[in-house]
Amino acid sequence: MPTNYRSSITPTWCPGCHNYLVFAAIQKNLSDLNVDSSNLVMNYDIGCAGNFADFFKTYGFHTLHGRSIATAMGEKIANPNLFVCVIGGDGGIYGEGLNHLVSAVRSNINIKVFVSNNFLYSLTTGQTSPTTPKGSRTKSTPTGNINVPVDPVKLIKSINPDVFVESVDNRDMVKLNDTIKRALEFPGFALVDMIQECVAFGKQLNS
Amino acid sequence: MSKKVFTIKFAGPAGMGIKSVGQLFSKILIAHDFNLSDYSEYPSLVRGGHNTCQISFSQDKVFAPHYFIDILFSIVPNHWPQHLGEFTKDTLIFSDEQIDQINPEFNQKRKGKFLSLPLKTLANEIGSAQVVNTISLGVAAYLFNFDLELTKTIVCGFYKNFCDLNARAIQSGYDYAKTNFSKYKLNLIYKPTTKTTDFYEGNEAYSLGFLAGKGDFYCAYPMTPATGALHFLAAKQEAYPNLKVIHAEDEVGVANMAVGAAFAGARTAVGTSGGGFALMNEAMSLCGVSEVGVVYYLVSRPGPATGIPTYTAQADLLHAINSGHGEFPKIVIAPGDIDESFEMGYQSLNLAAKIQTPVIVISDKFLGESSTSTQDLTKIKPEIDLGDIEKNPNSDYKRYQYSQGGISPRTIPGTQNGQFLANSYEHDEYGFSTEDATTAKKMFDKRNSKYKLALKLAPKANLFGNKSAKKLIISWGSTKGPILEALKNIKNSSDFAFLQLKTLWPINPDIKKIIDGFKEIIVIENNGTGQLVSILKSQFDFNPQKIHLKYDGRPFFPEEIVKKLNN
Ligand SMILES: Cc1ncc(C[n+]2csc(CCOP(=O)(O)OP(=O)(O)O)c2C)c(N)n1
Ligand code: SF4
Ligand SMILES: [Mg+2]
Repeated sequence: MPTNYRSSITPTWCPGCHNYLVFAAIQKNLSDLNVDSSNLVMNYDIGCAGNFADFFKTYGFHTLHGRSIATAMGEKIANPNLFVCVIGGDGGIYGEGLNHLVSAVRSNINIKVFVSNNFLYSLTTGQTSPTTPKGSRTKSTPTGNINVPVDPVKLIKSINPDVFVESVDNRDMVKLNDTIKRALEFPGFALVDMIQECVAFGKQLNS
Repeated sequence: MSKKVFTIKFAGPAGMGIKSVGQLFSKILIAHDFNLSDYSEYPSLVRGGHNTCQISFSQDKVFAPHYFIDILFSIVPNHWPQHLGEFTKDTLIFSDEQIDQINPEFNQKRKGKFLSLPLKTLANEIGSAQVVNTISLGVAAYLFNFDLELTKTIVCGFYKNFCDLNARAIQSGYDYAKTNFSKYKLNLIYKPTTKTTDFYEGNEAYSLGFLAGKGDFYCAYPMTPATGALHFLAAKQEAYPNLKVIHAEDEVGVANMAVGAAFAGARTAVGTSGGGFALMNEAMSLCGVSEVGVVYYLVSRPGPATGIPTYTAQADLLHAINSGHGEFPKIVIAPGDIDESFEMGYQSLNLAAKIQTPVIVISDKFLGESSTSTQDLTKIKPEIDLGDIEKNPNSDYKRYQYSQGGISPRTIPGTQNGQFLANSYEHDEYGFSTEDATTAKKMFDKRNSKYKLALKLAPKANLFGNKSAKKLIISWGSTKGPILEALKNIKNSSDFAFLQLKTLWPINPDIKKIIDGFKEIIVIENNGTGQLVSILKSQFDFNPQKIHLKYDGRPFFPEEIVKKLNN
């Protein structure tokens, strides 16, 4: 019987949001690996991606925006027996909290980071993020974003080639599942960059 | 003994072992059963500049270093004119200069006896330019009638691989003094009134208290004057296998890691000074709402911004009390001396565990980096309070259950059935986010009601001196030493009582009752705006007759306080 990691709260994402897929895929793979929910700590960043928090029933910490990795590191260092994960968005993980990501990658600490990369700050209604393509119009860059985007895979590999980092397009459910599985099994730091379109604010990116 | 307290000062550029010679002198004092209190000044530089280490010692307790010095060693020429104001007519000034080479302007202004000491020549005879500090120590050993062999043994223990060289340096200084300065020899007779066993810096004492309190996670980003605790604890990890000391990427990382560690069950503290503490504010607020107990060891220096990094101030009290956005319970305690730095090292961990909220231990450079002799702190075994921990939760466990007194038992991750969400959003009893008005108010009230127990458990104020005196001095933190030393030396000491507040937040209402028993109130603070005065004014009708402030980066000296009290 699969392990139940669900709380009784119904998810609140927009209909059609990719985070539903991510939610299903993470639960399935944790269950396949038999991760005991009383030994599992999920850390959630702030953002739409961070809003997984209320829907899981495990040990959890809905942390501060950008700081989920730092909090997760504290837990893992304090008690290495815990299974420690992070879920966040491109804004929190690659922007506000980038220094914590660099630090975690350098140390190859055994935590699993899942990034819902929708190229936007969505919870705050669609501003430019560190992964927004150059030229894209967003609410905070109405004449087009002047910055080149961060490539998380290249960035992380350049810091420490020994960690696990892969990008996956969420529309390929088989590949998403497989990547999450390998990340969970990896004996060190693992990050899955999950490319997705925000159904509410993503359209503007291509305009 | 003709004089009760002696003060010696070593001065020279950074990199010349000023701190080392001061520490050695202190070790020698302890071996002769003296009490001591020291103070160092150094610039934010690794080489050059002007460093000093001064030590006041006596056979009775010395609460603080004195301002006026009896003996000064300028380890290289020209490191004494900076101290003209600290000389008396009897001060002995040793420097490797001939009196006719000295700038006549300084020489005229100066009090005291100038004595030429050929340190460079003596060092060359020994074969190392580095030992000028140890030669000075040999001179001091002669003047204070220290046991020569004991002195050498201590110096050897300190320099290990350079034992022989430094032992010869001691002998050289000793012999030179015997030949040339015999008329200045103080024939001290050793009649100890107390048995001193060791001396500690405030940072060390705090760290020992943290270890005694079963602290097992310390996280910091280097920032003077808090770095001493990081270094001390980092070096203890071998001896304490459960101890984790982390130098994180920045103070934001430090504070957020600490939240995670404490949530995962560690007894956790972070260390920093004002600038780093500012960066930790958001995480402190997170601790407040998620009810995670973390200790913040805040060792202040003068701000604003980078300020005067290696000097002292009590300028962060309001910052500490008002830290973290939003409203949540917080405990701010301030040690006044070395023993209290030790005590608050473990008390803060107990409070954080019990009240499940941020606890700030506020010290400063003067206390954190100065030493005082005291008992052997490593022998003290304090009581450990792990707080209310739920080990066998039922299937409907509510981490944030409403309760009388506001404290709800917590589970530690790994506990079966104890799963819950710690949340930076306002939340319900399970920890799930809520925007419901009734729940929001109830949760606020639950957290705020923890102040009641905090008031009961937080350290009580000390009342010193004549309790039926007319005048009451009120202060907090590191000014305790200079005030007690001043009261020891002031003629009309029975005119004064001294109230030392140890808990600065929340303010215990009993304080008002104590204050009301005195006619004249005098506040002393090492800051520019009278921050304690503002806090007390916010709590009750409070109108001190006198407020003495100092905000030039230097601590109060007892002589200054005597003068102010006599005015
Ligand atoms: C310190 C701080 N700054 C700003 C915010 C406001 N904020 C909330 S979510 C968010 C951005 C979220 O973007 P991302 O991490 O990509 O998550 P998404 O909503 O796109 O899933 C911001 C800026 C905050 N909560 N805290
Ligand atoms: S705004 Fe975008 S990211 Fe947020 S829930 Fe809706 S679709 Fe998902
Ligand atoms: Mg995003």
